[in-house]
Amino acid sequence: MLRHLFKLIWNKKGTHSLLIIEVWAAFMVLFGVLTLIVFNLRNYLQPIGFQYEQVWNLELSTNQDTTEIASKLQRAMQRVRSYPEVTAASRMSSNTPFSANQIGNSINYNKVDVGGDFYYTDSELAKVLDIPVKKGRWYAESDLVGKFIPIVINQVMEDKLFQNESGLNKVVKRDEKTSYKVVGIVDKFKAKGKFMSDNPGLFQMLEKNDRWNSNILIKTKPGTDANFEARLVKDIAMMLPGWGVEVGYLKDSRKNRENLTLVPVIIFLIVSGFLLTNVALGLFGVLNLNIAKRKGEIGLRRAMGATESGVTSQFLGEIWVLATFSLIIGLIFAVQFPLMNVFDLDKEIYIIAILAAVAVIYIIVTLCAWFPSKLAAAIHPAVALHEE
Amino acid sequence: MIKLQNVEKVYRTSSIETLALNNINIDVKKGEFVSIMGPSGCGKSTLLNIIGLLDAPSKGQIEIDGSPVERYTDKHLAELRNRKLGFIFQSFHLINDLSVIDNVEIPLLYRNTSAKQRRELAQEALEKVGLSNRMKHFPKQLSGGQKQRVAIARAIVGKPEIILADEPTGNLDSAMGNEILGILQKLNGDGATIVMVTHDEAMAKKTDRLIRLFDGTQVS
Repeated sequence: MLRHLFKLIWNKKGTHSLLIIEVWAAFMVLFGVLTLIVFNLRNYLQPIGFQYEQVWNLELSTNQDTTEIASKLQRAMQRVRSYPEVTAASRMSSNTPFSANQIGNSINYNKVDVGGDFYYTDSELAKVLDIPVKKGRWYAESDLVGKFIPIVINQVMEDKLFQNESGLNKVVKRDEKTSYKVVGIVDKFKAKGKFMSDNPGLFQMLEKNDRWNSNILIKTKPGTDANFEARLVKDIAMMLPGWGVEVGYLKDSRKNRENLTLVPVIIFLIVSGFLLTNVALGLFGVLNLNIAKRKGEIGLRRAMGATESGVTSQFLGEIWVLATFSLIIGLIFAVQFPLMNVFDLDKEIYIIAILAAVAVIYIIVTLCAWFPSKLAAAIHPAVALHEE
Repeated sequence: MIKLQNVEKVYRTSSIETLALNNINIDVKKGEFVSIMGPSGCGKSTLLNIIGLLDAPSKGQIEIDGSPVERYTDKHLAELRNRKLGFIFQSFHLINDLSVIDNVEIPLLYRNTSAKQRRELAQEALEKVGLSNRMKHFPKQLSGGQKQRVAIARAIVGKPEIILADEPTGNLDSAMGNEILGILQKLNGDGATIVMVTHDEAMAKKTDRLIRLFDGTQVS
């Protein structure tokens, strides 16, 4: 029967060409949207690698002040750490967790060059963000006396840079002048939130008299409220006249950042939802019309021995065959993405998206064909033959 | 072989009730060639549909091979149509998108027959009607007479015992009509039981027995 259906659809390919193109287009759009969803979902399911619930970001801007910046920042740090409400505090570059800022660079080891996110922080960041160190340790101020700048990298960076070797204690280069020594390896650090992919990352120890990185991450004790925030802002503002002082909660920043990822996905979903609805309605209309035009054939098939369920299966089978033609064309395009490693995404993402898109297309065509097929089966054979 | 007892068929709508067949009693023996005649609208096709298990009577009993079929399920009826009955229609009812041989194979699709066996049986049936040279053609490439021969091949491909023909020569000229009747007579000679609805008195006279209908009632 399957062969018969293939023959029937193949012989009518001219008539069905628009329908085949419509299903193909729906598949391609669906594949794109599902790739985006699978990509984000996979990221979402991975832990971000740090704790942010009680962490505040104190953002200091020097404005017009240019004098003794480093010492002023050090004093501000000491002041912050002196509050009983503060468990730990750490200075960090402007690419704090969930911020829109990004600092990227690459490092080199044995002719392997890997790009990643660079975070400039002090020895306290692991404590503030509860970042578990998998191998080695987090750098300490005493490491600054060494020949190389101490760094901590994440697992992905280690895998990409050192492949099968351990990266611990290895010396890597950023450029001819700058060399780093890997003192520790952390698992994941998805600074942009759950939807961020686990990209290579590197934490570099801030120099003691650094004057450029003026964000302070503050881990507060549970129950610390806005009164402390007001006091903190007031104290720091008094201490650093003319400076900008702003406090943000990481948990709020996380929501904003994740919304920025979700909004385009939702827009794509709505657009593809409309498209799929149009395809579904189109298919439904075409199938209804098709059945009205093929009443004679339905009667004939019943006379030749088809049961009611046989007629339903035949019409469902035809639409599946038609969808299969479209999907074969669609797959020729879709498989190029994993094969050619487009957008540098994991092959698995594309494969899952392809399989999901195929399943959704079959579900849609089945739903659209179900009612017309049932109608076809319900046509009385004598009536169908008479109408012809 | 086919027995109809007190068969009545009423078509009902919300406002009208039409008696299409009234108290029909027919007994067709195995190997008989019976024709049913009557003016347009007298219920000939309705009767053939009832004999062909495509329609159910409002009253009365039908027996095929001695078994009453009233309580048969859709599946059982479909199987009976497939195994025992072959249909020939005035308007041929060929599927234009399938080649001649694919059209002939249709009844075999509803049986457990392999593709190879289907092809062989369809070729055999087309040879019987003299169309083995047109197997790859499509219905649109055939004349009316050739189309009807394809329909006959389709009706006999499953080797049914009974052939029901609804005005098989109605759309053909007299020469072609005679040719088709000749094929039916040959099939009857080979043992098939044939019930044919016709308008043509001359055709009807060439069959073993004639049943006449008038306004849904059997008059002879």
